[in-house]
Amino acid sequence: MNRTAENEKPIKISTILIYVFFCFMMVLYLAPLFWIGMTSLKTRAEIYKSPFGWPEAFQWGNYAVAWKAGKLGIAMLNSLFVCVVTLILTMIIGSMAAFAIARLKWKLSGAAMIYIMIGMMIPVHCVLIPLFVRFAGIGLNNNLWGLILPYLTFSLPTCVFIMSGFFRSIPNELLESACMDGCTIYQIFFRICFPLARTGLFVTGLMTFIGNWNELLLALVFVSDDMKKTLPVALTKFVTPYQTNYDKMFPAIMIAIIPTIVVYCLFSNQIVDGLTTGAVKG
Amino acid sequence: MDKLLRDKKAIILFVAPALILFTVVLFIPIGTSFYYALCDYDKTTRSYSFIGFGNFIKLAKDPTMRIALKNSLFFLVFSCVSQLIMGLLLAALLTNITKGRNVFKNVIYLPCVLSSAALGLLWAFLFHAKVGINNLLANFGIQGPAWLYSTSGFITLPMWVIAFVSLWQYVGQSMMLYMAQISGINKSLYEASYIDGASKVKAFRYITLPLVKPMIGTAMSLNAIGSLKFFDLIYSMLGDKTENLKMDVLATYLYRTGFSSKGGNHYGKASAIGVILVVLCLLATGIINKLFKTENYEM
Repeated sequence: MNRTAENEKPIKISTILIYVFFCFMMVLYLAPLFWIGMTSLKTRAEIYKSPFGWPEAFQWGNYAVAWKAGKLGIAMLNSLFVCVVTLILTMIIGSMAAFAIARLKWKLSGAAMIYIMIGMMIPVHCVLIPLFVRFAGIGLNNNLWGLILPYLTFSLPTCVFIMSGFFRSIPNELLESACMDGCTIYQIFFRICFPLARTGLFVTGLMTFIGNWNELLLALVFVSDDMKKTLPVALTKFVTPYQTNYDKMFPAIMIAIIPTIVVYCLFSNQIVDGLTTGAVKG
Repeated sequence: MDKLLRDKKAIILFVAPALILFTVVLFIPIGTSFYYALCDYDKTTRSYSFIGFGNFIKLAKDPTMRIALKNSLFFLVFSCVSQLIMGLLLAALLTNITKGRNVFKNVIYLPCVLSSAALGLLWAFLFHAKVGINNLLANFGIQGPAWLYSTSGFITLPMWVIAFVSLWQYVGQSMMLYMAQISGINKSLYEASYIDGASKVKAFRYITLPLVKPMIGTAMSLNAIGSLKFFDLIYSMLGDKTENLKMDVLATYLYRTGFSSKGGNHYGKASAIGVILVVLCLLATGIINKLFKTENYEM
């Protein structure tokens, strides 16, 4: 008895230390987010006077002002449109390609996979200028479709990657019996494989959506029209070289991050799993 | 069955959209980018004239480019090293506890999914010269430094601040990857080592570390590419001030050369920066994969 007590004691101290450490980390991670919320409810004078204090009165009106001044409504709609369209197209095109690479038998499937995987390594900056010049030539600049195309292309590698893993895990017998029953290859894909890979689709969908929702550089370059700006771009407009409207900026930050936080809280486990599987095998 | 899976028409229908997109939106532009890098772009006539390596020679002599390159390499090294240490540390500690593990994991991962542009604004305010953290320090009678405006030192203070902010934001990613790898290690290995009298630290050093080594390669290449691409945070924290304050990185310099209202539209020069960026990405991943190339142990 005595010995086990001795053995457990040092472990317990270390466990306590670990918990203390992680509680400190929690503060480090949650305090800034909490603080955005607090600051967004203060008046401008208050922000300067006591940036870390509790607001004297909750200024809910800040949100309405920021919403209007930053044209956040339209920006959010634009972001939503771009992200949803990209999401749907990525899932369809990506899983079709993944199915062909994972299950269909052709010589170049390995090469096609590598070709698509290279896309993961190329930073978007490198194609920024040629794309901008080309899109300006065919009227795709200042157009949300001009954003969707590159977003789609840069979302595809992860999608193909994860989905091909899911399609490979579907048992062969299932496809064979479908084939016996007279399914065409298209029916096999749309009726059997596509629904079976729901989990994969869900994960890829979430990742694609979040990634594109936050994208700044392309949106900044490709869109200059105020009515077509996406949310991250609209946010950067709150900081001008001459002054920063902090009382409008903080509500705007809140408006921008709340949707992501809600989605993350609802699906955090799936998101986390998806991101790790996506990267682990790559 | 076999015949069905070899259906040429179906194969083409399934892969064609993805491959066409890739070729048109990614590979042809990359080729064009390499060509533009060798050209001089005339704003008024909108024409490109071939000038060989002129852009690269110009960039080699350009002091801003040197600063941008220096800062980018700093971010590269800093993020690779700090993410490795912090990521592994967090992962190793988290796998040691059971209660609350998911909560800690999810909270630390949270900033990764949030917009860098939004978080950058927050940190810019916290590191403001008068309000923010300095206001807090002033209560204790400490005069805080001008976090985001200091220009002294080889690596300026703002760069360190931003490097730490990006560590704060993205360390969750590395932590996740290492955790996935560590939780895949067979528990019996640890039990055997404890019976042989190994301490927890020793077990970490001689069991965990060698077995996560393949993952270090993957995570580090992700960090390397991410840090070279680094744009959102800097842009939203410093905005257009990067120019005056010697705080450019490759991505912001590319953006400024190509698109800013003041010095913009040097497409040739900007493409040359883009080419350098890609080459750096490929080099960094190549080197990292070589360094951490290990045979996969049976686990």
